[in-house]
Amino acid sequence: MAAVLDVTPESAWTALWRRLQQDRVGAVSLGIVVAYLVMILFATAGYLAGGWSREVGVPYANPAFLGERPNLEGALRKRAEHKGVAPDLSAIDPLAPKYAEWERRTGELKMTEPERAMTLPWGGDRWGRDVLDKAIKGSQVSIAVGVAAALCATLIGTLLGACAGFYGRWVNDVLEWLYNVFTSIPSILLIFSLAAVLRSGAFAHLFASGIWTVVIILSVTGWTGMYRLVRAEYMKHRSREYVLAAQAIGASAAARMFVHILPNVSHVILVQLSLLVVAFIKVEVILSFLGLGVPLDMVSWGTMLSEAQTELVIGKWWQLAAATVFMAIFLTAFTMLTDSLRDALDPKLR
Amino acid sequence: MSALVSVVNLRVSFVTRQTRVEAVRGVSFDVRHDATLALVGESGSGKTVSAMSILRLLPENAIVDAASRVDYGGENLLAAPAARLRALRGRDISAVFQEPMSSLNPVLTVGEQVAEVLRLHRRMNARQALERAAELLAEVGIPEPRARLRAYPHELSGGQQQRVMIAMAIANEPKLLIADEPTTALDVTVQRQVLELIARLRERHRMSVLFISHDLGLVGEIADDVVVMREGEVRESGPTERIFSAPRDPYTRALLACRPRLDARPRRLPVIDDFMRGGTAPGAALERPPAGANLVEAKGLRKEFRLRTGWFASKSLVAVREVSFGVTRGRTVGLVGESGSGKTTVALLVMRLLEASGGEARLEDTDLLRLSAAQMMAFRRRIQIVFQNPYASLNPRMSIGRTLTEPMRIHRLGADEGERIERARRLLQRVGLPQDAMHRYPHEFSGGQRQRIAIARALAVEPEVLICDEPVSALDVSVQATVLNLLLDLQEERGLAYLFISHDLAVVKYMSDEVLVMREGEVVERGAPEAIYRAPQHEYTRKLLAAVPRGLEGR
Amino acid sequence: MVPTLAGVILLIFFLFKFFGGDPSQILAGQVASQEQIDAIRRELGLDKPWYAQLGIFVREIVSFDFGKSWMTREQVSGIFLTRLPATLTITIPILLLEISLAIPTAMLVAYYRGRLLDRAVMVICVAAMSVSFLVYIIVGQYLLGFQLGWFPVQGWSDDFWRNLFTYAPLPILLAALVGLAPQTRLYRSFFLDETKSDYVRTARAKGLSEPAIMRKHVLRNALVPVLTNVSLLVPGVFVGSFLLEIFFSIPGLGREIYLAVNRSDYPVIQAVTIYLSVLTMLINLAADVLYTFVDPRIQLR
Repeated sequence: MAAVLDVTPESAWTALWRRLQQDRVGAVSLGIVVAYLVMILFATAGYLAGGWSREVGVPYANPAFLGERPNLEGALRKRAEHKGVAPDLSAIDPLAPKYAEWERRTGELKMTEPERAMTLPWGGDRWGRDVLDKAIKGSQVSIAVGVAAALCATLIGTLLGACAGFYGRWVNDVLEWLYNVFTSIPSILLIFSLAAVLRSGAFAHLFASGIWTVVIILSVTGWTGMYRLVRAEYMKHRSREYVLAAQAIGASAAARMFVHILPNVSHVILVQLSLLVVAFIKVEVILSFLGLGVPLDMVSWGTMLSEAQTELVIGKWWQLAAATVFMAIFLTAFTMLTDSLRDALDPKLR
Repeated sequence: MSALVSVVNLRVSFVTRQTRVEAVRGVSFDVRHDATLALVGESGSGKTVSAMSILRLLPENAIVDAASRVDYGGENLLAAPAARLRALRGRDISAVFQEPMSSLNPVLTVGEQVAEVLRLHRRMNARQALERAAELLAEVGIPEPRARLRAYPHELSGGQQQRVMIAMAIANEPKLLIADEPTTALDVTVQRQVLELIARLRERHRMSVLFISHDLGLVGEIADDVVVMREGEVRESGPTERIFSAPRDPYTRALLACRPRLDARPRRLPVIDDFMRGGTAPGAALERPPAGANLVEAKGLRKEFRLRTGWFASKSLVAVREVSFGVTRGRTVGLVGESGSGKTTVALLVMRLLEASGGEARLEDTDLLRLSAAQMMAFRRRIQIVFQNPYASLNPRMSIGRTLTEPMRIHRLGADEGERIERARRLLQRVGLPQDAMHRYPHEFSGGQRQRIAIARALAVEPEVLICDEPVSALDVSVQATVLNLLLDLQEERGLAYLFISHDLAVVKYMSDEVLVMREGEVVERGAPEAIYRAPQHEYTRKLLAAVPRGLEGR
Repeated sequence: MVPTLAGVILLIFFLFKFFGGDPSQILAGQVASQEQIDAIRRELGLDKPWYAQLGIFVREIVSFDFGKSWMTREQVSGIFLTRLPATLTITIPILLLEISLAIPTAMLVAYYRGRLLDRAVMVICVAAMSVSFLVYIIVGQYLLGFQLGWFPVQGWSDDFWRNLFTYAPLPILLAALVGLAPQTRLYRSFFLDETKSDYVRTARAKGLSEPAIMRKHVLRNALVPVLTNVSLLVPGVFVGSFLLEIFFSIPGLGREIYLAVNRSDYPVIQAVTIYLSVLTMLINLAADVLYTFVDPRIQLR
């Protein structure tokens, strides 16, 4: 047992900040995560990677750091751009008589197509889109989905868990039944079922665009972990003396649940929320890879990986690398930050 | 004769990421052969760390100064190689800890755990070790030792678990047994049995015992030598007789005087400060108002818990059975009993924090148990409660100011927030805390201070009745006196009626005008404190009185 | 268990009924006349009130007769049985490998807690977990199968042993290695929690060496949360390998579900979901029973 410490009065959050600062790994991780958030803000506002879907390079443009590697498809496209002449097939081509007319018509149209670049900073994909831009935009989408889904799942799980843990008796029984129903269904099957109905079903048009399909799928499948945790915490706290004391002075049930207990449980919820973000991002990537995630007009790390599979076989590896690197750095930093957060919030280590 | 173990100039620090704290600062003491040495002190005194240093059983972040020595059999244990230390542990020197339930491995049987320490230090096969284990269990007084070999720790009572720990500790006939508050977590009657066991074993095996405790009464009864520690240093040491009859150090004198005695009832309990400043114990006896009309009257209180044991079966547990009492303004009714007696349940029933299964509890003319939640709100102003654990009864995330103003806000006391803050400040002043506490948080205060804040919160609504549920049990002896004095002062000032609950007979006797002794949910005896003390009628009361440690008088 | 099953059935029924598309439209295909659609509706009983349809649904579940897959015209029950062996050939070895590797690794790392080995392994685990499983499969398939030719890139056969030793190893290897990182991190935390217990202090006081404490005391206690974790993973053996099946063209249950989702083949999805939910509940029940053997504090209610 230690002798009395020289304790400077500070709130829990100030203490947290101080401890994080001293934890070098935590500080670096925080820096990286903040950098990503800044990048995402710019991307959302359109200042960064706004034109990711434009085909600015030749197909499979080489990354700048590889320079002039042979690029068969790109070279072909470049030549076609400049020459614009196709071999003469008029003998067998039934449409041959029409060509002259179409040439005349297209000549009347003004098309400004910028010169297609041969190399891009991190290379180009099959249609010549800038991989770096895609990676940045994909970061925005994947992280946004992960965070939004985590917040939704946290909201659902916390509300239900608080009620189940605090009230007990029949409320607990009903919610436990609900929990059992959701956890008996293997999560992959629930995800697939939801994906199946939301794409083809009555509300398909509502969810056709945007990230909300994925967010709904993830939060409906993923709230159970948070529920379990919050319920256990509320069960632990509801018979603690400070809650009894609150009841003794006449505080209402809602006040006890959210004004008294919730601040004491928030650190647990925060850590779990961070874990959910990581887990959901990883699931989103897989779903988007399978085509069940974000809609076709958006890019995420998952869609990049789905293209990467075929690209790899012909030796174009940079899109795979870009998606992997961006994702790995973010998730590693975020996980290390969560670890540091958990250590810093642990009351026993204070 | 040279000492068995000599601790010389021990310095131990703990390192966390930010700070380095010195827990033990140059402590020295000797443990004699075949004698009991008690290390006495309050929490934070460093007594446990000092004792555990002998076996180097310290947490990973502990640093022992290179100049410190622990001499045993001619070698310095602090410098010995790990293998040597492991050979000594459990064989020459062994330990018993405070919490027997968590100190035993829950997934191994009792027999396996006792046999383990035997096989570790002797050549025995499994069967022989279990045989010997059964003998040891019999020696420590466990009934049906053979059957118990196959039992798991959670199937035994707290007292039995501690006996198992002791069996493990003496299995290899150690020369020294280190006992770290071995009876603190046990009921008073069980405590008595365990202490007698240790004394018997000590004599039979000619063992030395290093006994760590905060309870001076206990120490006075069982120890041959005493070392008094405070904040990492030794304040005084010597033979028990001398220390108790003629203490030299002011802290030692304060410790001895602070406990409410069973045979006197002074107006105020002496506190540490009285002695540290060179004063003496205050004199005059306490005066109490006479008995009168009951403000609070409970009749036939009953609480039954239903436990579901299967799909359709259930078991009932009666926690409170036919409890009746009455409290007058300005007077105190004391409820005393061990754990499981139902005394805390009674408090929760009267406060409507738990729903009663039967009976009534009247405040003046209204039966509190029949009120709806909305009607109860009005009465929550008139009757309040102070809980046992000061570390758990204040919301760690609420500032003191908010904690105090919340009840006022709920009951619409004070015209506006400003007035409420004023009242809160005055309350803090009354309980002896500084004004700037308003913006601070519970973790910045000590246990005694937190309990005073809890009292202030209870007073915020200006109640007429205060229920004190073990208000000082979690506090150090020196701090207890401060809180008890405060409670008495407040009662005199405001004419509060108290229901005072505790397992500590001395404290209950000191505070109460009428005492009720509870056991397993029932009141087995009631009467004036003096009468209960001098002429206990019920057998259980007698047992309870006999079990209370009395210091030197108990030897 | 029965109320939960009822809940699952209700959930799946209403999910597909109210959120799903009109089955008759989907079945009829793109080009169909109104009469054809109506005929299909009658056949499927969609013209009846919802509670009658629920009744039909329940009857189908109990009699294991979901009719035919909307696309392949195969009996749904048949699909289940023919695809399961392939899935299990992959998933069971993966689960066994993961657990048997994670426990000793976690124990080792917990033993050296705080020191370089512990921290290095943990950082490697975190980095490894931050790379998507997809990348491992893509790169693994490419390098080990395509480039180096150590394993076949894809394929499956009818012979169990050939599958196990030729086609299964690469997917099993990739999945087990990827799963090792999170399992090790998790088990490490279990071990660490146990090392802080009071009974470990008692064991030290008896004179036990650190390795012995780990083996005899900590391990036994840590097995309780490990068992919880494993019982959560076991239900995953039935569809968990869907990614591997898709990549490696293994005709397993997971891939079948994925294909069913793509073609909106409701009966297949519903049937597999319900049956696997039942299996999950049974496995949980079995785990509860197993607990009473592992943790003597728990009694069966």
